[in-house]
Amino acid sequence: MSGLVRFEGVSLGYGRRPVLTDLSFTIAEGDFLGIVGPNGSGKTTIIRAMLGTLPPLAGVVTKTPGLRFGYVPQREHVDSLYPLSVADVVIMGRYDRIPVGRRPSDDDQAKVRQALEQVGIPDLAERRLASLSGGQKQRTLIARALVGDPTVLVLDEPTNGMDLVSTTQILGLVRDLHDVRRLTVVMVSHALNEVANYVNRIGLAFGNRLRLGGVGEIINEQVLSVYGLPVEVNSFDGHRVVVARSGGSPRA
Amino acid sequence: MLDAVLLFREALHGALIIGVACAVLGVYVVLRRIVFVGAALAQLSSAGVALALWLAGLGWFGTTHGHTIGLSLVVTLAGALFFGLGGGRRFLHHEATIGVTYAVAAAIGILLIAKAATGEAHDLFLQGNILGMTRHDAVELYWVVVPVLVIHYFLAKEFLFVSFDPETAQTLGYRVTRWNLLLYLTLGIVIAFAMQSAGVLLVFNFLVVPAVTALLLARTMLGAFALSIAAAALAAIVGFVLSIPLDLPTGPAIIAVSGALALLAWLVRRVRGE
Repeated sequence: MSGLVRFEGVSLGYGRRPVLTDLSFTIAEGDFLGIVGPNGSGKTTIIRAMLGTLPPLAGVVTKTPGLRFGYVPQREHVDSLYPLSVADVVIMGRYDRIPVGRRPSDDDQAKVRQALEQVGIPDLAERRLASLSGGQKQRTLIARALVGDPTVLVLDEPTNGMDLVSTTQILGLVRDLHDVRRLTVVMVSHALNEVANYVNRIGLAFGNRLRLGGVGEIINEQVLSVYGLPVEVNSFDGHRVVVARSGGSPRA
Repeated sequence: MLDAVLLFREALHGALIIGVACAVLGVYVVLRRIVFVGAALAQLSSAGVALALWLAGLGWFGTTHGHTIGLSLVVTLAGALFFGLGGGRRFLHHEATIGVTYAVAAAIGILLIAKAATGEAHDLFLQGNILGMTRHDAVELYWVVVPVLVIHYFLAKEFLFVSFDPETAQTLGYRVTRWNLLLYLTLGIVIAFAMQSAGVLLVFNFLVVPAVTALLLARTMLGAFALSIAAAALAAIVGFVLSIPLDLPTGPAIIAVSGALALLAWLVRRVRGE
């Protein structure tokens, strides 16, 4: 596996205030990395630096030449006031390939149909974005990320606010994109249980640091104590289940 | 009545040009939730007119139309630049900055007009005088509006993307600030010129109400632009035609018709049950 993105001694933050310091890690081709951590620990900040929308305060982020990201933002950021169809939204993922002032070609439209088929919603192409369920909206955003033929799929809280069925379906879809389409995936989530059962590696952001390791290395009682509550990790039918112990009080 | 309407045909012509231009830009203004940026820019434009008149009273500046519009344009574009670059978002909530700009620009405009030697005669610049539009004014508006609409036609894809999802646009290499700046500058230019005849209230109306009407009904972006233009044109014609026999001020009559169309659109939307 070769390195697609490399963080070397990187500090990240807003203004002069660092949120994360001394980040050094590599995202390899074929990786499926989950980034977890308490609220405000800088999970989204890491992907912003990876995508190049947030310059590091220190250190260097290097990327393989020609690397393309397919970015899936948080669903809540997508404004349903716009009278856009699913196809209108998906084709935006190819806008950087269409010269300024030009309209999308038939080839671009064909790519849109292909991407919608990949995420299982080919029949929703003409539906209005505002009329979609949370799961359908998420699939639309994933299709938009795929339509640009990305090397790395980056998802920010893809299951936020979804019910159990939609969550399982979306994570299953992402897993398939990794396993079948061999996409490198980086996924930020606050939901430990979801990340623990789908990704290959985990980065835990806490206290200005990012601790990286295999799922077993990170998803254990000792490491997860950074959340400030006693945590129990159980196994059920081959799945990891993380539970905050009842009666536990937040660490001062 | 037809004779009276024909007498003011250049004014109706001008109102239609302003209405159409503002209706197109207004779709972005409403979708981006920056309706009060439109109001603040219109107010800045009127402060620019007042500044030109005050300086002319002191003998430091010419009194021609070119001088007035020149200074108004400079002040409006400075405002567009400020808001396009974020409008002090790092330190203050965006709405607070817009509110401060609106209030201060309005007050400065009134103070300068009060002290301008030719002030009283030019109060209409601040309130607008759509009926006073001449053929020359309409032609001047064409020179401004047509290039702006051409820009918006060719760059619709880019303006839509940076408005709808700036974060993703940025990850695809779009220089979002530059695109925003271009959008705000086209807005500033149209407002500065439209303000000379239409006044703050009518320009603000054309920037917001037709787009709201359209977005209540439209199912596509193309539909939103088409309906917004239609709503603005219809309001301009009906308001204009009604204002003459009923002896009503034209600007407010157009605004009242715009409001009625928005109400109608809201009712249709309710009936549709979406």
